Amino acid sequence: MGLRVLAVDDEADFIETLVKRFTYRQIPVTAAGNGPDALALLERESFDVVILDMRMPGMDGLAVLQEIKKRHPLVEVIILTGHASVESGMQGMSLGAYDYVLKPVDFGELLEKAKKAYERKKLNESRADA
Amino acid sequence: MNPEPTPDAPGPLPGDHAPPLWPHTLLAPGLAGAAVLSALAAPPLVGVGLALFAGAICIGSALTLARRVRRGERELHELDVRLLHSQKLAAIGELSSGIAHEINNPLAIITQEIDLARELFGQDACPAPEDLADIKDCLDQVGKQVARCCQITHKLLNFARKMEPVLQEEALEQVIEDMAVLVEREAAGRGVAIRRDYDQSLPPVRTDVPLLRQVILNLLTNAMHATPEGGTITLATCRQNGRAVIEVRDTGCGIPPENLPKVFDPFFTTKEPGKGTGLGLSLSHGIVARLGGNLTAQSAVGKGSVFTVSLPL
Ligand SMILES: Nc1ncnc2c1ncn2[C@@H]1O[C@H](COP(=O)(O)OP(=O)(O)OP(=O)(O)O)[C@@H](O)[C@H]1O
Ligand SMILES: [Mg+2]
Repeated sequence: MGLRVLAVDDEADFIETLVKRFTYRQIPVTAAGNGPDALALLERESFDVVILDMRMPGMDGLAVLQEIKKRHPLVEVIILTGHASVESGMQGMSLGAYDYVLKPVDFGELLEKAKKAYERKKLNESRADA
Repeated sequence: MNPEPTPDAPGPLPGDHAPPLWPHTLLAPGLAGAAVLSALAAPPLVGVGLALFAGAICIGSALTLARRVRRGERELHELDVRLLHSQKLAAIGELSSGIAHEINNPLAIITQEIDLARELFGQDACPAPEDLADIKDCLDQVGKQVARCCQITHKLLNFARKMEPVLQEEALEQVIEDMAVLVEREAAGRGVAIRRDYDQSLPPVRTDVPLLRQVILNLLTNAMHATPEGGTITLATCRQNGRAVIEVRDTGCGIPPENLPKVFDPFFTTKEPGKGTGLGLSLSHGIVARLGGNLTAQSAVGKGSVFTVSLPL
């Protein structure tokens, strides 16, 4: 169906599982271990949905989100984090995140959210052409 | 849970300088009643006159009240438009400095390249053959920078579009629940429980999902801040008059009647300086209005508050 996912998390095991599960569903997925890598990947390739961790060494999730929304406003971002706070949730949502989800998350649910976020991107794009 | 209605403080009218209501609630009905009563005892012709008099009083009072309601509605609407406008202005201000910077860089390069090309063309507009390659480089560079500018303007267009809601069909529970789970952690730490009372038969809504999530998160955060240990926040959904309704109820401190009309004003806050910006509710109000819905508040001091979002189905 065309959904391309970029998963950003510094926890290697977690990312590995996520990649396996998306791949098993035949959804193209790329992993990045930190913010700058993710931003570089976004410059080179197109993605529809970014699944983004909040707490990463170096550049934190909110800064990455802000940068993504500035450079690629149509890309949808789902924040997936184990270090949640209401404060960062507020900031994330007002910076334009599609959703703010706590770990652990049921993979089926995450997949549904990614599909919904993708649908939103498509709607935005079709409006761009209109 | 409604605050006790007082005769001269009509809830929805924001102005404190509104004319008194007693001529309509006491004087007009009193006069009309007296006229009707005396009409009973009076001869028929006088009775008709008195009845007409009573009718005239009622019509006059109703017209005055209707005019006031109209004016109140208009004022509210204007307030909303102004608020949305000021939010847009702030966003534009922030944006424009970014844009100027992003576009100035390619413009500077283009200027340099054009200058260089002019020089290479020479006085008689006939470049030396060995300079042709350099001139071509200049043109290539100009082309590249123009492409960069195009990219920037495209992104800006995207941003402008982003301010328009994107409507998607989604179960209301799906929109609410992630925000509830997020607040629940912190609320549990404060000894505040979050209860759910979702109407399972509610059909999906067509709305801007992330925008509505922002509203829910704002309401939940306010409720958490207002509710002491041992209190409860209830999230409820239901269908009412063909609309989808979300209620965020709390058993917190409540809002005094004199503050209730102000809670949606931008920068109105009772929190300590630095703790609250007073923008949460005004922003939420603006978002809900853009989604074609209403956001309203009811509260009783010491008992709690209810914030109600109603959305088109
Ligand atoms: N559930 C509630 N119970 C009691 N008072 C409330 C509730 N929700 C809002 N209020 C009152 O309304 C005011 C405005 O709320 P609003 O969310 O707009 O700003 P804030 O919470 O003060 O700051 P912030 O910008 O951080 O949200 C609050 O300061 C508080 O006095
Ligand atoms: Mg608030």
